[in-house]
Amino acid sequence: MRISLNWLSEYVDVPSPEELAKRLTAVGLEVEAIERTGTGLDGVVAARIVASEKHPNAEKLSVSRVDAGRGEPLQIVCGAKNYQVGDVVPLATVGTVLPGGGKIEKAKLRGVESSGMLCSAKELGLAEEASGLLLLDRKIAPGTPVAKALALEDVLLDVNVTPNRPDALSHVGIAREVAAALGKKVRMPAPRLAEQGAPARDAVKVRIDAPDRCARYAARVVEGVKIGPSPLWLARRLESCGVRSISNVVDATNLVLLELGHPLHAFDLDKVAGREIVVRTARPGEKLTTLDGKERALSPEDLLIADRDRGSALAGVMGGGDSEISAGTTRVLLESAWFQPGGIRRTSRRHGLKTEASYRFERGADPGMVIPAVDRCAALIAELAGGTVRPGIVDCHPREVRAPEVRLRWTRPAKILGMDVAKDDARRILAGLGFEERAADAEGATFRVPSWRADVSIEEDLVEEVVRTKGYDAIPETLPHGASDTPAEPLEARAVARIRAALEGAGFAEAVNFSFVAERELEPFQRHVATGDGTGRALGIALKNPISAELSVMRTSLVPSLLKNVAHNLRQRIADVRLYELASVYYPNPDPKQRPSAEFVEVAGVILGRRSPASWATGADASDFFDAKAAVAGVLEALGVEVRWRPRGDGWLHPRTSASLLAGEDVVGDVGELHPRVAAAFELPRGVLAFRLSLDALLRAARLVPQHRAIPRLPAVLRDLAVVVDEAAPAAAVEGLVREEALVESVTLFDVYRGAPLPAGKKNLAFAIAYRAAERTLTDAEADAAHARIVKRLAEKLGAELRG
Amino acid sequence: MADLLGQLEALSKGARDAIARAADEKAIEELRVRFLGKKGELSAVLRGMGQLSAEERPRVGEVANRVKDEVEALLDGARRRLEAAKLEAELAGPPIDVTLPPRRLLPRGHRHPITRATEEIAGIFARLGYEVASGPEIELDWYNFEALNIPPDHPARDMQDTFYADESTLRHGVEPGTVLLRTHTSPVQIRAMKRIGEPPVRIICPGRVYRSDYDQTHSPMFHQVEGLCVDEGITFADLKGTLAAFARAYFGPGTKTRFRPSYFPFVEPGAEVDVSCSICGGSGRIPVRAQGQADEPAPERAGGSGGRELREGGASGPPSGQTKRCGTCKETGWLEVLGAGMVHPKVLENGGIDPKRYTGFAFGMGVERMAMLRYGIDDLRLYFENDLRFLQQF
Repeated sequence: MRISLNWLSEYVDVPSPEELAKRLTAVGLEVEAIERTGTGLDGVVAARIVASEKHPNAEKLSVSRVDAGRGEPLQIVCGAKNYQVGDVVPLATVGTVLPGGGKIEKAKLRGVESSGMLCSAKELGLAEEASGLLLLDRKIAPGTPVAKALALEDVLLDVNVTPNRPDALSHVGIAREVAAALGKKVRMPAPRLAEQGAPARDAVKVRIDAPDRCARYAARVVEGVKIGPSPLWLARRLESCGVRSISNVVDATNLVLLELGHPLHAFDLDKVAGREIVVRTARPGEKLTTLDGKERALSPEDLLIADRDRGSALAGVMGGGDSEISAGTTRVLLESAWFQPGGIRRTSRRHGLKTEASYRFERGADPGMVIPAVDRCAALIAELAGGTVRPGIVDCHPREVRAPEVRLRWTRPAKILGMDVAKDDARRILAGLGFEERAADAEGATFRVPSWRADVSIEEDLVEEVVRTKGYDAIPETLPHGASDTPAEPLEARAVARIRAALEGAGFAEAVNFSFVAERELEPFQRHVATGDGTGRALGIALKNPISAELSVMRTSLVPSLLKNVAHNLRQRIADVRLYELASVYYPNPDPKQRPSAEFVEVAGVILGRRSPASWATGADASDFFDAKAAVAGVLEALGVEVRWRPRGDGWLHPRTSASLLAGEDVVGDVGELHPRVAAAFELPRGVLAFRLSLDALLRAARLVPQHRAIPRLPAVLRDLAVVVDEAAPAAAVEGLVREEALVESVTLFDVYRGAPLPAGKKNLAFAIAYRAAERTLTDAEADAAHARIVKRLAEKLGAELRG
Repeated sequence: MADLLGQLEALSKGARDAIARAADEKAIEELRVRFLGKKGELSAVLRGMGQLSAEERPRVGEVANRVKDEVEALLDGARRRLEAAKLEAELAGPPIDVTLPPRRLLPRGHRHPITRATEEIAGIFARLGYEVASGPEIELDWYNFEALNIPPDHPARDMQDTFYADESTLRHGVEPGTVLLRTHTSPVQIRAMKRIGEPPVRIICPGRVYRSDYDQTHSPMFHQVEGLCVDEGITFADLKGTLAAFARAYFGPGTKTRFRPSYFPFVEPGAEVDVSCSICGGSGRIPVRAQGQADEPAPERAGGSGGRELREGGASGPPSGQTKRCGTCKETGWLEVLGAGMVHPKVLENGGIDPKRYTGFAFGMGVERMAMLRYGIDDLRLYFENDLRFLQQF
């Protein structure tokens, strides 16, 4: 809400703009900006045109002599045509720098001397467009600075009015707050209405068919008006608050809107069929063309202001084109009403139509302002457009909108605020804000909420009124008493911390991506969600109103986002990438009543590029499956999770160079090289490695608290074992058979060899084995016997041969 | 016998001279063989003992043993001398090039600034006795709006552009238009109160939130931290004290807080909370430094303990005595960082808590903004681009 200080000061005495801004902010009406207008027009004065003749050497120019209040008239060359001798116009005198940056100098134009420039509104920065000189009021004395003559010097406050305070969406509303904060009085505008002629009720009838939607409709009739432009002061006043000037009658309604906060509407009474206003909901299939020229199909829920035959306005939102005030209008029907906020909001949203009127009605207009507003506006129209006001108001008032009475217990402020508020303080503040004390006893008092404060309905609201006026600075700072029980850190939080530490230790940078992705990006991941009764399928929970198709489906995998991150970094010529993300994936919840979604935390990572940072000290080998496996293994070890590695990970991974991790039958995750087709879909090169892990599965298998075992005090016997096995035999299978021997304490695979002299299809695995007995010193003979049993078992089960 | 004793004497002398001259390990070994070896000089002397009488033999034997011990000791001494000299020579050699980069097998990892800020904020509240709570990001209208005192036609819904879920991608059983992406972390208040049941409730809930707004200063997804404290006798003064303590812990010990009345439907009274600007220290002006120096110093402090320490020395020159407008707080000296208030009685009721007996306060903050102020980040979009040149700074 833009507030003009010139205007505001008509209703209340104001301090300096800065002090005012501070006080308003302190009571909850945050002033976001202070703007000064009318500056930069030094040197522009009002000048009366004394004479004007054609330029001797130029067809389109004229030479005028103007009185600029300096005694001698000045000679000015001018191109505009819209003036006559006697008009008063702005003159930029020599030396003036106009808002556009041009400096006025004494010059000869086509041989004729010109001592300044006559200006249009555009040249003065007062309007976007202008078709000639700005004509000023002829009563303005020549020489008067234009900024002063037009009351352009003003300070505008940009006030952020929160949605609960429709009462502050006007100059009088702000004046009330200023008065309460500074202990001053508000000077309400007092319209002087001279009523004439036959009563208004003879000219129009009003009927409300939807009293639940419209509690009151008051109409006045002004006759004999002459539609024309508004005087400059009015146009300026509206424009300074961001409202375009249209005509004297329409501007009058807008002025009252900005002054009193009450939206009004003016109809051309001669276009109201049957001279009858009916407030009703729209009929099925009914249409209305609103003032913006759009034909709108109405819902039976939309409230209409109709005449005998058809709708003429979307109530409280926008007028209709048919009954619009036009140049030929002579009889004006002025509407002032109170509409139910919810209905206005629904209509405004349904039609995507937000207006100054709907903005106020949907927040709650002041029912006490219906009559004063229509009186004020009628008087204004009579003054501006020369009409006469018919006696009386056609006031249809089926329902009283009563402000509630709210009780304040004197002890309550202290309980909420932690600060005592004296009874008299509370009374004085509430009275200043318009709250009327209806009854009181020793414990408290009951207050009638002022009609404009629709936001106040409970005791806490009264406490807020008191404290916002006193200022929050008065409240002391304390800490809540008594710490409660200290719960153990939740399992999940501990696990997450360890996962992060493990991955960051393995060189990963954390990424944070949007939770929604493009549908096609989820396709390769084939983690369809079950929809409807459980038989339907979708790629993920979709948004009804996404920002774009690229951000439209809640992801079921974190991997596609990370793949896009890799592509981004490659485009930035960053070749070595290790990224991880820890976030939720989203599935429909089979029982959506309390929770529509089932959200699971996953951790995913991607690797591309060198295994180690480029360096003199390390190789430049590209990362492979085992680097990704190392990262995953680091996470598993940090959580004490033991898994089996099963060849072939999920479908988005390369079937030969990927694996799934299982803890029991629980799939903990997948790791491996990205499937070449998925890499191509994301415009990535081959060789991207990725993994995903389920936090829930990790937690089920986790052992976060290590358990101590005694360290061995007796010596171990060490033996190496090199066996040749088929290529297809997994190392883990060989190791498993080794471990079947009871005396084996540890097994380390230290070499894998393929090639000559081994035949094709064979590989040599070399293990370092430590044998140890818990209770005695193992002899070489015992170890040799165990070793021999292992060799025999490997030969029997895997056809392994001892390598010489 | 005298002959033998003379030979031993000569041997001893010869060994002393020779060992003193030995220059390396090899020479010492040769001398050992020459004097003490099986075919060495001592053995040769002892072979002559056969001609001696039984009385003479022990005497000569005694002398021979003494000479043997003496030569062995001389050889040991020579060896030690040589080793010491060798070590001295090694230690006196040229140093390696310690300026070569370290041998890193893996790059350093990095935690996203949003996570870092969230952890710091949650850590401060954990020390104040707050537990971390969470809730779903795909929420029901009731939790996100209605339970928080924002009924369907409430204008406060204008403050938040809401993403709605397409029901055809959910399971049967939801009312049309009631499933949305949470627009704030506040629904966790309701879920937490319902779960905990009886106060005290002291929770902090960090998480992702969504609003349908995407431009330079708005992201359709961002992060908030919500806090809730409900118990008997909780007051606005407690809220002020708690947030003032938080602001000092996060922004530094000298940080001031300012509460202004504002409106959030789920609190009454409500407030916006400003902290004194961490860039200019609340003065609204920042020192202008000598030409060619960094314009606007980024905040730099260690672990939240540094207060308003600006980057001194290094890249920045000495203050010139002049100041200029602080762009971060727009010269106001204050930064708006939190919304807060006393929990509205209806909200307590919706959480299953008796508002006649209990009071509470709630607050919320945007993590992106908190991280911006802490790390000097100036563009919201950097957070979600995941450019490694950005991430590696953290």
